[in-house]
Amino acid sequence: MQNRFNLNRRLPYLLLAPSIIILLALILYPLGFALRNSFWFWNLQTSAVPLYHSGLDNYRMVFQVTPFTEALKNTLLLAGLGTLAQFWLGMGVALLLHTHLRGMGFCRALLIMPTTLAPVVAGFLFRYLLEPKGGLLPWLLEGIGFPVPPQGILGYAGSALFAIGMVDTWQWTPFFAIVLYAGLLSISEEVKEAAQVDGASPWRMFWSITLPLLRPIAAFLVMIRFMQLFNSFDLVFVLTGGGPGTSSRTLSFNLYREGLVNYNIGLTAAMTWLVVIIVTVIINLYIIFIFRKREW
Amino acid sequence: MKSLQTRHRIVIYALMALVMIFFVGPILWFSLLAFRHPSEAYTIPPQLFFEPTLQSFERTFVDPGNNRPQVFNSIIVSTGATLLSLPFAMSAAYALSRFALRGKDFIMNWYISLLIAPPIVFVIPYFILMSRIGWAGTYQAMILTLQTLAIPFSVWLLKSFMDEVPLDLEEAAWVDGATRLSAFFRIIIPLATPGIIVTSMFTFVFSWNNVLFPLILSKQSTTTLPVGTISFFASTGVYWNQIAATAVVAMLPPMLIFLVLGRYVVRGLTFGAVKG
Repeated sequence: MQNRFNLNRRLPYLLLAPSIIILLALILYPLGFALRNSFWFWNLQTSAVPLYHSGLDNYRMVFQVTPFTEALKNTLLLAGLGTLAQFWLGMGVALLLHTHLRGMGFCRALLIMPTTLAPVVAGFLFRYLLEPKGGLLPWLLEGIGFPVPPQGILGYAGSALFAIGMVDTWQWTPFFAIVLYAGLLSISEEVKEAAQVDGASPWRMFWSITLPLLRPIAAFLVMIRFMQLFNSFDLVFVLTGGGPGTSSRTLSFNLYREGLVNYNIGLTAAMTWLVVIIVTVIINLYIIFIFRKREW
Repeated sequence: MKSLQTRHRIVIYALMALVMIFFVGPILWFSLLAFRHPSEAYTIPPQLFFEPTLQSFERTFVDPGNNRPQVFNSIIVSTGATLLSLPFAMSAAYALSRFALRGKDFIMNWYISLLIAPPIVFVIPYFILMSRIGWAGTYQAMILTLQTLAIPFSVWLLKSFMDEVPLDLEEAAWVDGATRLSAFFRIIIPLATPGIIVTSMFTFVFSWNNVLFPLILSKQSTTTLPVGTISFFASTGVYWNQIAATAVVAMLPPMLIFLVLGRYVVRGLTFGAVKG
C-alpha cells in the first residue's frame, strides 16, 4: 500500500518527464551551441570547426555587417500591423457570420480554406497573382486606376513588406473570424437582452458587452498570431527573398541569410541570442500587461 | 433576434460576397493555372475560360515525375512526426489534466512558449548537429526536430480533451482496484480516442505544411512536397504551371482534413484554448 501511494505521488512527474526531457534536449542543444559559438569566429565555408575566440566581436558585427536594426523594425512593423489588421477584419467577418442569415454556415466552412494552406503555397499563389506582367491583381488595380509600380508590388521597396503583410492577413483573417465567431456564440443571450432592455444601441453593446467578453479569447489569439508573424520566414522566402535590397528582411530571414547562405555561424549564433532575448522580453511584457491571469 | 430589414440583408449579403471573393477567389484562380497550357500562364486580359489540360500534372507526377517521391516523403515525415509525438504528449497531457501539480501554469506556459518561439533559431544548430552525427538529409532528422512543435501542440490540445472525460468514471475504476496507470489505459485512452484522432490530424497538417525544417534538414531525395514546389524556381525560369500543379496536390490533404475536422477546427487552431 505504501508503495502504491508513493507511485501515485510520483506518477504525474514520471508522466511529464519524457516530454520535458526530449524538449529540453531539443532546445538546450541549439541554445548552448549558439551561446558558445557566439564568442568564436567561425565561417563554415572556410572551416569545419570554430577558428578562434573573438570576444564580443560577433555581437558588434551583427549590427555592422547585417541590417539587424532594419530587420527588427520590419519585423515589429509586420507583426504589429498584421495582427491589428487580422484581428479587426476577422472581427468584422465574425459579425457578418453572426447575423445567421441563410448560407452563412456554408460561407464559414469555405472561409477556412486560406488558413489550411502551407505558407509557401500561399506565397506562390500571390506571387502569381502579383506578377507585374500578366498577373491578375496588377491588371485589376490598373483597371480601376490604382498606380502599380513598374517593377511590381513585390519588387518595389515601398510596398514589398506591405505585400507580405497582406498575404499573411489574407491567410489568417479567416482564422480570427472563425474563432471570434465561436466566441460570439458563447456570449449568453440574457446579457444581451438585459442591455437591450436598458436601451443600449448596437454600437454601445459591441464596445461595452461583446468586446470585453471576448477579451480573454482575443488576448490569446493576438499573442499567438503576433509571435507567428514575428517569426515570419516562409512567406518572406517565397515572396521577396527579403528584398528588394533589404527592405523586407525580417529577423528570421536575416538569421537564415547569415547562417545558411553566408555560413557565418559565429555571427549567426550571436544574432540568435539577441533574437532570443527580444522574444523573451516581448512574451513577458505581454504576459505581465495583457494576460495577467489565464482567464479562459 | 428580430428579423432584419430587407435593406440590411442586402448589405450583409453584398459584404459577405466580397469577403468570399477575396478569401476563396485567389485559391480558385491559382488552381486553374495548374490546368492551363504552359503558354497561357499569363494572358492579358486574364482568361477565365480555356481548354483544360493535365499536362502540368503529368510533368510533375508521371513523366519525369520529379515530385512524385516528394508526396511519399511528405507522408513519411508527417506521419512519423505525429506518431512519435503521441506517447510523449498523451502521458504529459494526462498528468496535467488529472493531477494537482505545483507549477502547472508554468509548465503549460512553457510548452506554449516553444510553439511561439522562432524556429529558425533552432534549425541552424540542428543543421550542423545532423551533419555531425550523420543524420543530414534523413527522415529521422526531420521527424525528431519537428517534435519541438508537435509535442507542445499535442499536449495542449490533448489536455483539453482529457479535461472533458468525467473524473467519476476513473474514480469508479480505482474503487474496483485499478491502479492509476491501468485506469489511464482502460478509461482515459478509450474515452479520449476522438480527441487523440483530432490531435493527430492537426499535428499531421502542421507537419505537412512545415517548410523550414525540411528545407534545411532534407536532401533532394528526402525532401517534402511543399519544399518541392520551390525547386521550380530554378535559374532557368519559373515554371508557373508546374508550381501550381504541385501546390494543388500539396494543398489537398490539409484541406480535406480540415473538412473532416469540422467543428473541431476552432479548438485545434487555438491549441484547445477555445472550445468552439
